Parts: sequence; structure tokens; C-alpha cells
Amino acid sequence: MRLLATVAAVLSLGSTALCAEKSNSTKPLTSRQILPANFKPPQTFKNVNLVHIINLEKSYPKESINVVIENTASTAQDEYFIPFTSSQMETIGGFEVKDRKDPDSGLFEVEAVEFDTESDTQFYRIRLPTPLAPKAQQTLGISFSYLSALEPLPKHVGQQESQYLVYTFSAYCPSTYVTLKQKTEVKFPSTNVPEYTIVPATAGESESPQKAGSKFTYGSFGELPAGAVEPVKVRYEFTKPVIHVSRLERDIEVSHWGGNIAFEDRFTLHNHAANLSKQFNRVEWASQQYYNPPSTAIKELKFPLRVGSTEPYFTDVIGNVSTSRFRSNKREANLEIKPRYPIFGGWNYPFRVGWNADLKKFLRKLKTGNGYVLNVPFLEGPKQPEGVSYEHIELRVILPEGAENVQYSTTVPLVSVEHSLHRTFMDTTGRTTLTLTAINIVDDFRDRELIVTYDYPLLAGFRKPLVIFTAVVGVFCAAWAIGGLDIGIHGKKK
Amino acid sequence: MAPKRTAREPTPSAATTQASSTASVPAIPTKASLKAKDNQSPQEVALGIWQNYLDTTPQRTKLIDVFMSFLVVVGVLQFVYCVVAGNYPFNAFLSGFSSTVGQFVLTASLRIQTNGENKADFGELSPERAFADFVFGSLILHLFCINFIN
Amino acid sequence: MADSGSITESFFKGSSGRNTRGLLRLTILSLIAAAAISSRLFSVIRFESIIHEFDPWFNFRATKYLVQHGFYDFWDWFDDRTWHPLGRVTGGTLYPGLMVTSGAIYHALRALTIPVDIRNICVLLAPGFSGLTAYATYLFTNEMSTSPSAGLLAAAFMGIAPGYISRSVAGSYDNEAIAIFLLVFTFFLWIKALKLGSAFWGALCALFYGYMVSAWGGYVFITNLIPLHVFVLVCMGRFSPRVYVSYCTWYALGTLASMQIPFVGFLPIRSSEHMSALGVFGLLQLVGFVEFVRAGVPSKQFATLLRGFVLVVFAIAFGGLVLLTVSGVIAPWTGRFYSLWDTGYAKIHIPIIASVSEHQPTAWPAFFFDLNMLIWLFPAGVYLCFQKLADEQVFVVVYAILASYFSGVMVRLMLTLTPIVCVSAALALSSLLDTYLTIKSPTEPTDSSADAVNGTTASSKKAEKAAKQDGLRSLSKPLVGIYTTFSKTSVVSALTAYLLIFVLHCTWVTSNAYSSPSVVLASRMPDGSQHIIDDYREAYQWLRQNTPENAKIMSWWDYGYQIGGMADRPTLVDNNTWNNTHIATVGKAMSSREEVSYPIMRQHEVDYVLVVFGGLLGYSGDDINKFLWMVRIAEGIWPDEVKERDFFTDRGEYRVDEGATETMKNSLMYKMSYYNYGALFPPGQAQDRVRGVRMPEKGPELNTVEEAFTSENWIIRIYKVKDLDNVGRDHASASSFAKGNKKKKTTKRRGPKVLRVE
Repeated sequence: MRLLATVAAVLSLGSTALCAEKSNSTKPLTSRQILPANFKPPQTFKNVNLVHIINLEKSYPKESINVVIENTASTAQDEYFIPFTSSQMETIGGFEVKDRKDPDSGLFEVEAVEFDTESDTQFYRIRLPTPLAPKAQQTLGISFSYLSALEPLPKHVGQQESQYLVYTFSAYCPSTYVTLKQKTEVKFPSTNVPEYTIVPATAGESESPQKAGSKFTYGSFGELPAGAVEPVKVRYEFTKPVIHVSRLERDIEVSHWGGNIAFEDRFTLHNHAANLSKQFNRVEWASQQYYNPPSTAIKELKFPLRVGSTEPYFTDVIGNVSTSRFRSNKREANLEIKPRYPIFGGWNYPFRVGWNADLKKFLRKLKTGNGYVLNVPFLEGPKQPEGVSYEHIELRVILPEGAENVQYSTTVPLVSVEHSLHRTFMDTTGRTTLTLTAINIVDDFRDRELIVTYDYPLLAGFRKPLVIFTAVVGVFCAAWAIGGLDIGIHGKKK
Repeated sequence: MAPKRTAREPTPSAATTQASSTASVPAIPTKASLKAKDNQSPQEVALGIWQNYLDTTPQRTKLIDVFMSFLVVVGVLQFVYCVVAGNYPFNAFLSGFSSTVGQFVLTASLRIQTNGENKADFGELSPERAFADFVFGSLILHLFCINFIN
Repeated sequence: MADSGSITESFFKGSSGRNTRGLLRLTILSLIAAAAISSRLFSVIRFESIIHEFDPWFNFRATKYLVQHGFYDFWDWFDDRTWHPLGRVTGGTLYPGLMVTSGAIYHALRALTIPVDIRNICVLLAPGFSGLTAYATYLFTNEMSTSPSAGLLAAAFMGIAPGYISRSVAGSYDNEAIAIFLLVFTFFLWIKALKLGSAFWGALCALFYGYMVSAWGGYVFITNLIPLHVFVLVCMGRFSPRVYVSYCTWYALGTLASMQIPFVGFLPIRSSEHMSALGVFGLLQLVGFVEFVRAGVPSKQFATLLRGFVLVVFAIAFGGLVLLTVSGVIAPWTGRFYSLWDTGYAKIHIPIIASVSEHQPTAWPAFFFDLNMLIWLFPAGVYLCFQKLADEQVFVVVYAILASYFSGVMVRLMLTLTPIVCVSAALALSSLLDTYLTIKSPTEPTDSSADAVNGTTASSKKAEKAAKQDGLRSLSKPLVGIYTTFSKTSVVSALTAYLLIFVLHCTWVTSNAYSSPSVVLASRMPDGSQHIIDDYREAYQWLRQNTPENAKIMSWWDYGYQIGGMADRPTLVDNNTWNNTHIATVGKAMSSREEVSYPIMRQHEVDYVLVVFGGLLGYSGDDINKFLWMVRIAEGIWPDEVKERDFFTDRGEYRVDEGATETMKNSLMYKMSYYNYGALFPPGQAQDRVRGVRMPEKGPELNTVEEAFTSENWIIRIYKVKDLDNVGRDHASASSFAKGNKKKKTTKRRGPKVLRVE
């Protein structure tokens, strides 16, 4: 953990400058490291066996590549490159690499590298924790997802019609290395896949894809050179909303005095599903409600909160939305909210939800010194079967006034970290605030933790009462002094 | 501009009507005798009043009166200008004129309050307090006027 | 609380020192303020912290603008998102006092680093100021009466009187929220200035008057009441230097202060409403001068002559005023003002004023509803003022008479009546309580003989009031009658009961009648739990999120402010009804046939049309019920094209069902309200629950607009105005063409309708 924290810190140092100016735009993660323009990854590896799995069950494509790599160079190597197109680079998120053989070893260090802004090919560089000796093999598990990569076709559907999405990918997994054997598996949400590209049979290979229920398999293919591409387009039924959060601002406020921790999430939510071909028809919608058929409209969002959460609220820009339910008992705390209107494709709905919880469940005091450890979920967005994608997440952890020596660690890939002060509620110096920014995150990261450690001296806790007390006493003294003065204008006779 | 006429009517009357009204009245002796009014000419009446005024008024009050008559003159001048040359920057005219009128009534108030004869009405009011009130009122007045003049 | 206050007050009177009493008074006052504030929070507790009704939404929007853009931008604010395509010079046509006040509070709190949402400040401003009003009433009443209990009682009454609560519940963020406080406080300062003859208090009075002018159009009430008071005093021969000093200071400074507000501008010297103040100012100068000369000229005859001179000058000035008004130099009375004298005036000449419910004459139960027992204590208090008729009591009498009249004319002016009712009722009640709680023995023969005279005059009045005149009976039978413990306790307990009932009544009225935000409707589920009907916000939020930023919304003007505030979209007309023609245009578009309406909507670049329809839910405040006003207002401008008569059946009925007139059925409003409504019911069963009629089997057809959104309970329906047809057909033929294609395959039943549309 400590290692990760430092890694992230190092990363953030490099990226702060870049991210500062684009922190609130939804532009991607371009790269953090600039390489010379004529850069070409050295051909030091080969992919012995590669399985590319594309999961289309949710409203975003989630891909994972399991690959056995072998060092073909004469020296030990620790840098493995994966190519992406620059448009993919803008929407890729949640890029993580693990050792498949040793899942507990933690995540590998990865970074996006840029060598030429004009170039269509960009790279992720994976740094192996231990350099791989020549001829040695290692199994990597690479996973990532793309945002906004699915297009509805047709673009407009009726209120009760089915929706079809189109996804384009390559049957050959993009790689900068020679691949000896590979296959690509596509998992669809249903068996209804009206259109898909057929890769004709070649020598030794049968025609792709092979269908097994809702799973299509392209390949396996034999040896392919680096950079081989075979575009494939699939169109499949997905009559569910495509929930996209363009911006999530999440505030976590810690109050030692109140023993309370307050969460507030502000969502800017869109539905990227197919738009309505005609205007919204209430009669149709109302009559349809009895049967509850699949629909591209967002009717309800469910937030499973931590047990013990209290006082939830759900508001939007014009006030409280009364259509929310909160079920809380010993085992669960579910916040179910209903937007004011069903959100169809192309419609927007910004809102905010918030709740309180007992601080004791999240905060632990270290045995020695003034140190505290705070463990909170990084993301607590809605948990929907169709998935939610987040373009930009800004998480603020507001610690008590006077907290210092703030350190954090999380497994969520971040793009920037900022320490600042937040002045509110009669603060004198302001509360220590930690702002973490992440982009292109999907709701798989929902349960990731964020651990923040900080020192909070006892004296700092008494700062505010003292300041207020002094101020009040000062006001009284001033009032007394002024009241004592004789400012009346009297005649001399008096 | 026309409404102004009614507004400022009283102000100049302080000076002008003094002469006219007394003149229209059949002779009135000021101090000499209460009954024998018919014998005296208007000039004498006016003169008597003037004499009476000079005799009984304290020096300070006279100073105030001079200021008041100055304000009346200025007000009349402004009004005449407005009638003759037009009231184009109406804001400016209005604020100039109302500052004169306002100052006049404030000064009149000061005069009344400091007048010893009105002790019964202003029991606790000392001249100093009256003057402070006067300053306060004038400050507000001119603040508004400056703001209004554009 | 109030009567307990007076009890303790009298209890502590003799024994304790001044400090103890001061402390008690302070505590009682703060308790009253707390009661006043908390009784206004029903709506926040029951619903949420939300801005109510219509006008407050505009004030809220303006406040947000002020907070965001700063004071100077606000002052020069030209709003192009209302009154499309005209726009509105908002900065110059509003009373900025309210917004500036909450802006100042907002920034003060920000400076103390207390992060309060501007909305919460706006919501809680009215309750906060009601606490201050209670205090101001206390001060005002204290000037009237020597009894300290009167002030406290008046404060308590003011705090909870429904007549005032009606406009100051939390969320009712309207000008009246702060204006009533300013009204009472200005009057207090005026009385203070008059009593002391102090230019300082006069100047303060002028400052608060200026604040009042910046806050509410009702300042005209002060502008006329104070001169009237002075005039009455002069007529009663009560002119004194004090009157001169206080009035002249107030007028000179106050008029200048009022002219600082752009919306008021030159009105104080141009409009008739302000002329009385000016006239009295002139009169005072004359009288003052005459008094001055008379002091120097000790002659009775001369003085009489002077007085005659004064009257002549006054008559000439008045004649000049009339002349100027006739010749048009001074603006004639505005229509709203005329309707104060002739209640039928607005209905005939300015339907737009008459169409506002709060401009209607007051129904008599409203007095009892809003003031309860205060209304019968009120004359008693006024009568008490007649007894010791000092300058300030004259004020109460004048105020009472004027306000009683006006409140009878316009519902809204009940607000100005409430303070004086509270004050005089408190005077009456406190004199009763003081009498019955503290009298010890009839040992003051001189006093009682004086009272005996009053007692006889009053004996024809109510028994209680007569009983108060203790002297008469006490002379004959010193130890019976009102001096017995029995009579004391019975009277006191009766009064206590009355007070308690009053408190109950106030609470009941506040909670039931005045605490509904009207944006949000509440209903009961079968199991008794509260169900919130939030259609307005559902539709406004939909508009805000899913239409282009500059989509123009056409709706009846009632909803203009809400659309501007909640949906943040440009509107054609709103509740600032400054342009009657524009409103009539909308009225015409709503009440005409589609072929007529469509060009109007195209000309005004309308993108969406919003109508309110209560038929499904039984919500009676919907557009069909307001429809006749639209027709009337449109008829006022286009008498040839829109005729109210055409909307009534031959028998003079206003119907929406099968028997509705053709004009009615073809009007855009009717069509938009009932479009597709029948589809919700089994065939032939469609019913309008507001008007309780069954709808025709065949619903209306719409060609030029299409349904874009309908809220859950159908209260709001939004239609999108279609673009011109691609092939240049008119919409009717285009849609009948589209329908004709389908009709061939399906049923022929609707065939004739296509023909009719063509």
C-alpha cells in the first residue's frame, strides 16, 4: 500500500501540470510521458498465447486481455507496450495489469506514453515489477474499458421499440509484438445479434465467429505480425439505458466534533441511448408501466449505501425530489431514487444525493501519536445492472481544520491530486482538503477503497471553540465599551 | 417642471409674501398700539415688523435667517432658469432645486428648534442637539442629491 | 404567552428594579419573535425549503442574478429572457429592496464563512423579518400607550395574526416580506419624530421610508397617510413647530430618497398619488410662515387675515394641481388606483388587473378569517384613542379609517390593515387587563368622576367596555361590581380563553390556508401518508434539461416567473404585466383557431407551448378555468377577432363537453388541454374531474403543434410548435395526408374528421 501511494504520488507529480488545465474538461488522459517522435517499441517480446475477451453485457465495452509473454531479447526486459488508437486513448479507462499467475501480487505500474501528438497510435507502457529474464514467460492479465464507444443504430427508436448498439473492434488483438496464437471472445447481453462481421475461413482456421449462446468467438488465429488488424462490427440488442455520468463531484466531509461523516455526490447524468423518434407520449408510457417491459429510459437508480447511513437526500437544481425511498436496517441501507421524469436517450438529469454516517465506522485512531486512518469508498454511485460510466470524477475529502501530513492510497487510477484549504462554517484557516481526480471510470470500481491518513493534533480541535469564544467576548467587550461612552449631545446646561 | 411650482411655492413666499401680504393688509401697528391700525401706512407696518425682528432676534438666529434668504434666492434663480432655459437635465435641476428646498426646511427646523420661544414644544432639545440633527439631515440630503444629479 | 407577559409585567412592576423589567421585556419579545418565526415554518417542515407561488420566483431569480453579477450589473439588468422578443429593463422596473436585503445578508454570512445557500436566505427572509415586525409593533404601540403590556400584546398579535402571516410564511419571498416591517417601523419613527419634534428622527424616518420605497409599491400608503395625519392635525388647530420640523424633514429627505429608485424616478413630482404629500408640505410652509409672522405681530384680526390668506393660497394651489392633472403634466391616476375607488372599474376597463385574485374586493369572512377576535377589539381600541386624543392617537385614528377602507376594496391591502388592528386591539385588551388585574380599591374619587363622564357615553357600547369605565359604579357601590374577585377572575379568564382561542385559530389558519407552496401539491394516500404531487417541477425540470437553452416558451402569464425561475427558459409573458398588448397576443393565440395561432407563434419564435390542465387530477386552478380571462384580455385589443360571447353556448353556459361551442372546441387552448386525453380512459368514458363533465368521445386533433411532454398527473402539458412543412403544405393537410394513409388500412371510423379539419 505504501508503495502504491508513493507511486501514485510520483505519477501525480508528473501529471499535475498537464492536468491542471484540463482537469474540468472531459478530455482524456493524454499521456504523462513524452517520448521522442520516432519512437517505436523495441521488439523484445512475443505473445505466445493471447485471449481477448470483450464483454458487452453492460452499457460500456469492458475488455480484458490475458496474454502469455516471452522475452525474446538477450537481456532482461521490464517494459511491455500496448498500442491504442488516439481516439481509443481518449475514452479508455480503468487500465489495470495483473499477473494472472499471482493475483495477489498487486497491480503493475502502468503509464500512458506519448511520442507524437499527431500520430494515430499511442501506447500504454507496462512496467513489470521484476525484469523478465530472456526466454522467460509471464502471464499478464490486462483489463480496461472504453467510454462512449457504443453507438445506437438506428439512432432514433420509438418509445417501446428495442434498441440496438454497434461496437467496432478488431478480431486480432492489437499488439506491437508478434502473436503466435490468439482468439477474441465477445459476450453479448442476449442472443439477439442481428448483424456481425464474418471473418472468412483461412488455412487451418474455420470461419469465425463461432456462436455459443450469447458468446461469439473469433479465432483462434495463428501467428500474426505486430500491428495486424481485422475490423469487426457487431450490432446487438441492448434495450437498456446507456447511463453516462459526464461529471461526478463527490464530497466527503469529516467532522471529529460531530462524530459524523457526510457524503454528497453531485451527478451530471445523461442517457446515451437512442433518442426518441417521436416526442414523449405520456399515455403510452403510463399504460406500459403495468407490464414493465425493457426500456431505454432510466426509471430508477439504486444506491446501495454502507450500512448505518442516515438522513439521505435527493435534490436537483429546483429542490427536493420527493420520489425517493430509503430502506435501512441492520443489514442494508438502500437508497432508491426516481428521477422526476423517465430519462430517455438524449435526455439529461443532473442531481445530487447525500447522506450521513457515523464517523466511527470509517475512522480509526492510530495507537501512537495524533494519527488517524480514514477508510472510505472511492465511488458510491448507483448500482445498475446495465452499468454506469463516469467520464470525470472529482473526489474531495474535507478533513477537519488543522489536519496535517495528509497521505492517501487507492487502487483507482488517478490523473491528479491536489491539496488545498476549504473555508466554511466559521473556519479561520480553512479545512485541509484533498482533491483526487479520476477520469473514464466505470462502475466496476464502485467498491474500491480510499485510505487517507492524517495527523490531527488535539490543539487543532480546540481552535474553533476558542476562536468563537474570543470573538464573542470581543464583541461583548466592544459593545460594553461603546455603550459606556456618552455619545448623546446635550446642552451645557445639563 | 410645472409640478415644481407647487412644490416650491411656499419657499420663496417666506421672503416675497412677507412684503406682499402685509402690504395688502390694512395698516397694522406692530408694537405701538393694538387698536389703532387704521392710522398707519403699509410701509410703516413693514418697517415695524422689521424693527421688531431686529430688536428681538438673537445674532445667531439672524445668521440663520441670512442663510435661509440666500437659499430662497438661489431657489428662485434655479426656478427662473428652469422656466427660461428649459429643464433639460431634469435630474440635475431637480436635485439642485430640492437640495435648496431641503436645506431651507432643515435650516428652518434648526431655527425653530433653537428659538427660545418654542421651549415648550421641544423641552429636552438642546441647541447642540438641534445642530447635530441639522448636520445629520443635511448630510443625508446632500448625499442623495449628489447621487441623484448623475 | 402574551397575556402571561402582561401578568408578569404587572407583577413585577412595583417591586423589581428597572433592569429586571427590561430583561423580562427582552425575553418576552424574543419569545414572541421566536413564535412568529416558528409559526411560519409549517411549509418548510411539511414540504421543503422552497420558494412559493409565482412572484417570489422572480424575486428569487433576481436575487440570484444580484448575487452572481454584483450590484451594478443588477442595477442595469436588461433581461432578454422574458417578454420575448421585447425584453425587460428589469433593473429599472423592480423594487430592489428585497433582493438587496437578501444579497447583503448573503454576503455578510459569507464574510463570516457561514456557507448558506441563497435559496435558504430567500426562503427564511420573511419569517426573520416577521420577528422584526413584532418588535417594531412593540415600539410603535409603546408610543401610543403608557401601559407596557399594550406593546407586548401588540407584538404578540402582530407575530401570529394570519393577515400578516398570509404574506410572510417561509418561502413567500415577496416584497411584502420586508415591507410590512418597514411600514410599521417607518410609522414608529414618524410618531417618534412628531412627538419630539426632532429632525434626527425625521431624517431616520425618511431613510426608512426610502428603504420602504425600494421594497414595495405600497409605499404610496405611507406617502399619503403621513400627510393626511399632518393635514388633520393642522385642521384641528394643532399645528406646532414640532409638526413642521418632523414633517418637513421627512418630506424633503424622504422624497429625495424615494427618487433614487429608478422605478420610482420622477413619480413623486409627477403622479397624482404623491401630490397630497407635496400639497401638505406647501401648506406647512405657509402655516409655518404665518405662525412666524403672527408671533411678531400680536394682532388677532391680522392673524385671521393671514389664515384667510393661507386658505386662499391653498385653494389656488389645489386648483393649479387639478389644472395640471387635466392638462396632463402630472400623470393621471393609474388604473390600479382607480380601482381603489370604484371596485367595478378594473373589471370593465382593465381586465388584466381584475384577473388577479388578490385584486378582488375582500369578502367579509376574510376579515374574521385573517384577524379573528382582533377585528372586534379593533373599534374598541380606536375608541380608546379618541379618549386621549394626542397627536399620535390621531395618527391611529386616521390610519384605522384609511386602512379599513382600502382593505375592504382589495384583498391584498388586508396587509396594511393588520398592523393597526393589532395595535388598537392590543390597546383595548391591555386597558382591560390592566384594569382588571391591578385595580385595588376605589380610592380615587377625582379620577372616577372624570371617568364617569366617559362612562355614560360608553354605556351604550358593549358591556365589557362599559364595565371598564370603573368610576360610575364604583361611586355608588364601592365593594361590589367590578371590584369583586369574582368579576375580576371571570373577565380575566374570559379574556384568557379568547386569547387562547385566538392562538389556536391563528395556528390553524396558518397551517391550513397559508402554508402551501402551490408549486408542490400535497394529497393523502389511502393509508393516510402524505403523497406529493410534483408535476410543476417535473415539467419545469424537463424543460430545463431537455430543451435548447434558448427555446422560447409560450404560456399564460401566470407561469412566466416560474418558467423563468425553475425552467430557466425565455418566456413571452410573465407576471410583470407591463405590456398588455403582448399578453393579449398570447391570449389571442390561445383562444383562436390553430390556423390563426400558428402564424402568431411563428412570429414570436415560439418553440414550446405550456398549458396547465387539471382535468385528470381535479386541480381547479388550471388554464381552462382561467381561459375566459385570456379571451377577455384578447378581446380588449382585437374585439373583432376574439369574442367572449362565442365561448358561451346559446344558453350562456361555459361548457367544455359535447355541448361546447365550435369556437371553444377549435381554440388552441381547448385542443391542447384535451388532446389525447380520451386515450387514458376506456372509449367514451373520458371525464374532466374539475368541471365534472364527460368529454366527447372524439378528442381534438392538433396539426400545428405536437405533444412534447406531459407530466405524471397531466397537470402540465408541453407542446412543441412544428416547423413549417417540408413540402410547403399547411399542417392540416400534411397531417390529414399522413393520417389518410393509415386510415385506409385501419378503420374508417374517423373518416369524417379528416374532412372537417380540411
